[in-house]
Amino acid sequence: MALRMATRRLGSKLLPRFSSTSVLHSHATSFGFKEIPEEEKSRMVGNVFSNVASNYDLMNDLMSAGLHRLWKDRLVSKLNPFPGMKHLDVAGGTGDVAFRILETLNSVKSRATQDVLDDNLHEETQIFVCDINPKMLNVGQKRALERGLGEDKSLIWVEGDAEALNYKDNSMDGYTIAFGIRNVTHIEKVLAEAYRVLKRGGRFLCLELSHVEVPVFKELYDYYSFSIIPAVGEAVAGDRDSYRYLVESIRRFPSQETFASMIAAAGFQKVEYENLVGGVVAIHSGLKI
Amino acid sequence: MVRASLMLLKDAGRGFCKSLSQILVCPLSKQPLRYSEETNSLISDAIGVSFPIKDGIPCLVPMDGKIIEADDMPKADDAADLSSKNNQ
Repeated sequence: MALRMATRRLGSKLLPRFSSTSVLHSHATSFGFKEIPEEEKSRMVGNVFSNVASNYDLMNDLMSAGLHRLWKDRLVSKLNPFPGMKHLDVAGGTGDVAFRILETLNSVKSRATQDVLDDNLHEETQIFVCDINPKMLNVGQKRALERGLGEDKSLIWVEGDAEALNYKDNSMDGYTIAFGIRNVTHIEKVLAEAYRVLKRGGRFLCLELSHVEVPVFKELYDYYSFSIIPAVGEAVAGDRDSYRYLVESIRRFPSQETFASMIAAAGFQKVEYENLVGGVVAIHSGLKI
Repeated sequence: MVRASLMLLKDAGRGFCKSLSQILVCPLSKQPLRYSEETNSLISDAIGVSFPIKDGIPCLVPMDGKIIEADDMPKADDAADLSSKNNQ
């Protein structure tokens, strides 16, 4: 399957063509296709991820035929990590994005000439892996060990809430959230917090499952999502419901354009998005100026 | 400010070191945190709440916070009330 990319750039004068309150309210009170009380969403999503944690990475490989690895590679390459950076990976649970950033930096280091200054810079690198679910973080810590990153002091695991982050204002060079924003209760709070913790010049990057409009492909993708994925979830993880939630939550999430407007509304400039695989995933980015 | 307390943050076995105090803050008040060795927790003096550290992972979700009272049993509900007040 060819990796098709389409980049759309949005001007700074965005007129929201949606009722933002209704979109946000609808997101906060939906659990997939179910309507739920707003205060319940966080707990219900928490249950899903506690259930899926141990099979999370295997299921990602199965559901995306391994493509999620390429999507995360793309995300990290857009980030342009540099030694000494402070980075926050939100909803980073099992560590995929954080490991890639570290490995990019470590490979840069080995290619550079030996320099005391460089070594000091590398020591200052801090990658915070922030997740609200401790089970996901524990899986991440184990995977870090398996990957030989267990002793790397740059990797810092923190249990935190994307809607109420525990980092100082203007402290981060980069912020990533991969396959996480779909699961939060209040998107606007997450975006506001992302804006708050980023330094001026800092980059916001979001990788998320998104909307496919390409005819025929859309129908195939819908069939795959609603018929195949929950069945695989049942067979592999013994959990059809959690995977049905995951698939439904993708459909309920705002479109690429709407989400881009929300990012701009949070104060970000140069808001863009890139579709991968016809819109199956999208990488949205913004800059804090 | 509370420079002396920064020296108290120690390596808790998994790379938890004092440079973190320069970035980590209380999720409710956004004020600095102080490491308490005796309770192995991070204290937000601004609002009198403590956050636990489990397996070397700081638990800095608002709901994890416990109000520090000398006599009362700490209640997670109070931290949730605080969190909803701050979110208004």
